[in-house]
Order: sequence, then C-alpha cells, then structure tokens
Amino acid sequence: MKEHEVISSGLLESYVLGTTTVEENELVRDLCIKHPSLTDEIELIEEALINYSAQTITPLNKELKNKISDKLFSNTNTETEIIPITKTDKTIRLYKLGIAASIVFFITSIAYIFYLQDNLHISEVNSIEIINAKISAEEKVYEQQQSLNALESKLQILSDPKIKTVGLKGMNSLASNSALIHWNTESDAVYFNASKLPATAAGKQYQLWAIVDGKPIDIGVIDLVNDTTFQKMKSVKGAQSFAVTIEKAGGAIAPTMDTMCLLGNV
Amino acid sequence: MTKKITYNQDELINLIRQRNQKAFTFLYDNYSKALFGVINSIVSSQEEAEDVLQNTFVKIWNNFESYEESKGRLYTWMLNIARNLAIDSTRSKHEKIKSKIQSTTDTVYQKNNLYVDDTAHESIGIRAILGTLKEEHKIIIDLAYFEGYTQEEISKKLNLPLGTVKTKVRQAILTLRDLTKKEFLQ
Repeated sequence: MKEHEVISSGLLESYVLGTTTVEENELVRDLCIKHPSLTDEIELIEEALINYSAQTITPLNKELKNKISDKLFSNTNTETEIIPITKTDKTIRLYKLGIAASIVFFITSIAYIFYLQDNLHISEVNSIEIINAKISAEEKVYEQQQSLNALESKLQILSDPKIKTVGLKGMNSLASNSALIHWNTESDAVYFNASKLPATAAGKQYQLWAIVDGKPIDIGVIDLVNDTTFQKMKSVKGAQSFAVTIEKAGGAIAPTMDTMCLLGNV
Repeated sequence: MTKKITYNQDELINLIRQRNQKAFTFLYDNYSKALFGVINSIVSSQEEAEDVLQNTFVKIWNNFESYEESKGRLYTWMLNIARNLAIDSTRSKHEKIKSKIQSTTDTVYQKNNLYVDDTAHESIGIRAILGTLKEEHKIIIDLAYFEGYTQEEISKKLNLPLGTVKTKVRQAILTLRDLTKKEFLQ
C-alpha cells in the first residue's frame, strides 16, 4: 500500500479514534515503520481530535488537577483512599496480632525457661541424691558383702570340728553382757565373738587375755567396729581360761584385775 | 488552549513508567480537557464527569503496565479508558445515557437537513466551532470519537455507505486540522 493510499483510506483516523481491529493496528504499525511520514500524519489527526474535544463548554474545575495529583502522589487523601486505609488497618491489625502473639510467646518462653531452670535445679538435687543413694547402696552392698564374707568365714571357722567354744560371762561393768571364744585346738587360732559390747571410754580398749598355767597371756586388743564383733586374736596353746579387761588403748603388758569384765573357763 | 507537545510519545511513556510526577503534569495539562470533553458528552452532570476524569487518570496511572505501544497511540489508549469509565458510570447510575445521546444525535441528524440545532451541540458538551465544521461531519465525529463507533457501525446507524462514512470521517478531521492550524497562527 502506497503512502497516499494509506492516508486517504481513513485507516489512520480510525486508528487514532480507537476503532481499528487488532490486525489493523498491526498493519498501521508496520506501515509506520515503512513510511515514517505516516507517524506525522497520525500525530496531526490526534492533535486535531484533542483540540476538538478540549473545547468543552463546561470549564474544568481547576482544583481537580491537585485533587488527582494528591491522589496519585500522596497517601493522605480521603474518600477513595478508604480501600488502602482498610488495607493498612488490616495490616496494622495483623501487626498487632503478630506483636501480641510475640509477647505471649516471649512470656511463655520466659516462664518455660524458669520452669526448666527449676527442673534443672530439682534434677541437680535429684542427681546428687541419686548419686548419694547409689553410693550408699554400693556401700551397703559392700558392707553386706563384707558381712556375708564375715559370716561365711565365721561359719567356716565355727563348723570346723576342732573348734572349742568357750562362753565368757559378764561381770562388773559388763554384768549383763556375754561373749564367746572360738578356739581351734589344733591350729591354736582364737576368735573373739561378742555382740553389743558398750563402747569403752576415750583412750581405753578391751583387751583379751588367755590364762595359761595361772598366768595371763595377752592375745590382743579388741576393735569395736560394729554391733557384732568377730575378731581373730593371737593364737594360744594350752589356755585354761579367757578374760577381758579394760586397758589403755593399744593394750597393757599385764591385766588390770579391777577392770576385768568378761571371764570364762575352758 | 492548544498544547504543543514537548515530549515525544516515547519520552512521555518512559516518564510515566517511572511514575514521574512531571509525566502526570504533562498528561493532565495536555489531555485532561480533551478527555473531559469526551467524558462530558457521555455522562449527565459536570460533577459526574469530574469523577470519571479523576478515575480515568488514576486508572491510567495505576494500570500503565497494560499499555502496549505496539497496539496503538497513548492518547487512543487513554481515550478508551475515559470512554469506558464514562459509559460504566452512566450504566451504574442506571441512566441510559448512551441511548439518550443516540436519540439526540438521531434527532440532530434528522434535523440537520433542515437547520443547525445549536442546543443539540451544547447538550453534547462541545463548543460550537461550527460554521467551519459541517453538522453531518460533527455527528459522524461525535459518534466515532465520543462513543467509539466503528465506521461500519456508523454506516449502519446513519444508513450511509461505508465508503461515504470513511470519506466524511476523513473530511471532518481534515477540517479540524485546518482549525488547529488557524489557532496556531492566531
């Protein structure tokens, strides 16, 4: 299509008036690329139409420009700003909700931290208690093991047919007490067996004597550990009696007859 | 009255894409009256026309991404927005303004052979620059420009051959171009 044909066809007028089809718009665009002077023609048509409709009998409100400008470039205007404001309100509400949620979360967290610390403290205490309990349990087991061992050895000792048991009767301070001596007549081993002997005064100790041919022989001091004392003493031969006196700690060379508290004959 | 375009279309489009306030000022200074004239010919009151013009600029500004240079002139795009918003406005008010205008133009056209009815032009809202623009041209231009009638629709409506409509549209616009030139010279 030649330039003047395009111009006289009325296509450009329709193009500016906005009544052309999509295909016609594409045609005009292509023609303008081929013939740049067509763009000048289009601009003249546009200008004529603009000038025509601009000649309105009703003057345009001079405030309208500022009103529209405010609407486009500031967010402080009213009326149709209702929608953005509502949006803002929603946003603020969301923020408020968020903040409230955060505060609740924060407080809950703090409370939980305290709760955990408390628990931690409790569990610390618990752990100590558990450890202590474990220790004491272990101690108990050990003690029981020990006492079992002691019992076993006692049993072993006592079940030996060569053992001779001598009962010692209490006198003076130990009038209500008694004790046993287990004496192996073959190996000469002597065991002191007593229960609930009262503790001696400070610096004092019970001492066991064997009477051989009328003479007292020191066969060791007694260590009071538990309620029940089962202690291996020094070995002795040919004893006729056994006696316990209270002597200075560590024992004496000769017995103090006044402090004799247990005595028994073989 | 005449606004000499100081930005070319490409520069202006770039400024609008940047949402530059200068672009708005330029658009308003150069196109508001023309768009208002179109809107005012469709809606029934000045107040409504101003509302529609305001909405037109807001829509131009906020929906500018939908404008494609390859599909037409910037002014044509703005013109379509203004026309559509004006028609929507009259519809929303349950005013059958379009048919009202149509009946008016029908009347005018029928009267045209007898005499020029000046009050009819005023009802459309355009100052008479007549004397130079023939009434038959004015009616065709108003249908095509203000109401968006295609040339085929005008042909049917006015019962004129399509070729005649094309010629008359072109003649009418050429007359307007002459008027524009004269105004420059003044």
